Amino acid sequence: MIEGILQGLSTAASPINLLMVAIGCFVGTFIGMLPGLGPISAIALMIPITYGFDPATGLILMAGVYYGAIFGGSTSSILINAPGVAGTVATAFDGYPMARQGKAGKALAIAAYSSFSGGTIAAILLLVAAPSLAVVSRAFQSTDYFALMVLGLTAVAAFAGKGNVVKALLMTVLGLMLSTVGTDKGVGVPRFTFGQIDLADGISFLLLAMATFALSEALMAILKPKSDADRKREMEAQKNLGSMKIPREELKEMAPVVGRSSILGFFVGVLPGAGATIASFLAYGIEQRLAGPKKGAEFGKGSVRGLAAPETANNAACSGSFVPLLTLGIPGSGTTAIMLGALLSYGIQPGPRLFEENPDVFWSVIISMYIGNVILLILNLPLIPYIARVLAIPSNILLPLIVFFSLIGVYFVSFNTFDIQLMVLFAVAAVGLRLLDFPMAPMLLGFILGGMMEENLRRALAIYNDSWVFLWERGLTLSILIIAALVLFVPMIGPKITAVLARRREVAGEGG
Amino acid sequence: MLTRDRIGALLLLAFSIFYWSRIDDIRLLPFQAEAAFTGRTAPEVLAVLGVVLSVVLLLKPGSDAGIEAKGYRWGTAGLICLLMVAYGLTVRPAGFLISTSLFLAFGFFILGERRWLVLLGVSVPLVVLFWLLMTQVLSVYIAPWPEFMDLSR
Repeated sequence: MIEGILQGLSTAASPINLLMVAIGCFVGTFIGMLPGLGPISAIALMIPITYGFDPATGLILMAGVYYGAIFGGSTSSILINAPGVAGTVATAFDGYPMARQGKAGKALAIAAYSSFSGGTIAAILLLVAAPSLAVVSRAFQSTDYFALMVLGLTAVAAFAGKGNVVKALLMTVLGLMLSTVGTDKGVGVPRFTFGQIDLADGISFLLLAMATFALSEALMAILKPKSDADRKREMEAQKNLGSMKIPREELKEMAPVVGRSSILGFFVGVLPGAGATIASFLAYGIEQRLAGPKKGAEFGKGSVRGLAAPETANNAACSGSFVPLLTLGIPGSGTTAIMLGALLSYGIQPGPRLFEENPDVFWSVIISMYIGNVILLILNLPLIPYIARVLAIPSNILLPLIVFFSLIGVYFVSFNTFDIQLMVLFAVAAVGLRLLDFPMAPMLLGFILGGMMEENLRRALAIYNDSWVFLWERGLTLSILIIAALVLFVPMIGPKITAVLARRREVAGEGG
Repeated sequence: MLTRDRIGALLLLAFSIFYWSRIDDIRLLPFQAEAAFTGRTAPEVLAVLGVVLSVVLLLKPGSDAGIEAKGYRWGTAGLICLLMVAYGLTVRPAGFLISTSLFLAFGFFILGERRWLVLLGVSVPLVVLFWLLMTQVLSVYIAPWPEFMDLSR
């Protein structure tokens, strides 16, 4: 393991890779700051550029973009109360009031220090957790992988929130359906290609990600432009940042919050489907309760703790979400799904074998995540006043550029103009579904896991002589499937059972 | 009531039924007649799941929110979509430099930019710089000029 870490360190610390992580952080911050564009779009936009790179370098660049985009999202949350992604919504609760009090610089510094600390603690936990899980996962068979993927997909739907579970499940099924388009890998028979040779290879992952995220987000911004008052507010916000210094007593107040939220965030991030959003809200809620009545009342009005907690937790959760991706090859979120797509395009199959066969890639990604955190702190923070000027670029110039980069990113990989038309079709469909409030991330996750799920199931059936008994005879598979069922049904049925029990108790009370 | 959830459910139900109807087009190889898992198995399971979930959402929508069509710039977004389609059709015959510069300039114009200096002053240099970056730095060949001017053909 030590050898692997050293190998990863030497790869990550090579001048070209250091440069890449710095560029990644910078570009990521830039893209993440644009309201509406989150880490998924940022990474999707970078994939075509990294095709010519060595896998480790490409992934390092994307890890930088990932962190940069999250930091950029926090910046727009704090400055203009416009979180780019759900994971930074809780950041705006206290960050924006602080900015309105003229302390935007301080709020950004707190966000950066918290992100850095959260990232650091999570990177250490990742260093310990990933190899141990990789060792355990060596005992996994195709049947268990199939069950794990079912768990991943149901967890995403289960965490979609009240009233959205069925919608998230439907979108997951839609993603799985789209993954069946193209030549069936098992027997080489075309499926749903409608005689089109362009569909024989299936729908490209990059095309789908770019169309349903970057392109559809740009179209949404075109459909519903911001008001003049909002634009004025953005211009004002990027002009007056104030001092970036944090007083010593506030740093002291932050320290325990950061420690707790890092650990919480990391473990929530490891759970498939939970991710940064839940981690940040959970950390915010817990810290508000722990702060006591006096300090707790300051939450939502510019509290230091209220800003530090979600910022730490969302960064730690991002590192945590890499654990299932790197060790099992199963992404737990839309962002890690797109990272998986990138890994596969380099011919790297994440999972326990990655740890053994490509230790340089495995460790350099983990180490570069940490380097990314350092760069964000020492390079991006001082540059924020300049990067924030991106908010001043008029949307009539910016939006066509985003559309162009999305289209060309896909076209430059295939050089097939059919892909551009297909992207427009998917983007229009995605805009329609977004307007109807259907989530996109489960669809992307279903799409990326669809092919792998089918392959594992086919392999499992071949091992068990075409019999489905493995679903209930193999203990590990059965346990994972039971957990998947619990994850999905307990939140749905739980409240109803509680209500029935309460009613019975009431009736019993009246009777007695 | 036709809520947002119900409209989405109807659309996805239609898609699932269409998907289901095309499963028979998947050819089964002779040796697969008795197999437990064929190229049709996953699509069949997914089609059933799609139909069942859409019907569940149709009967029990998660929210009562209706649709709002006001305040959206449908025309502008539609024009940008048409522009993208046109770009897809012209990028090869007209060459990267001309088609992309026009795409960006028209894009800026559709979104309300009327200054000629901005329309061409931003799009043309940006496209040329981007082309130079891709071809010279990242070694990706992109035909710059229209097909009839390509001497290598």
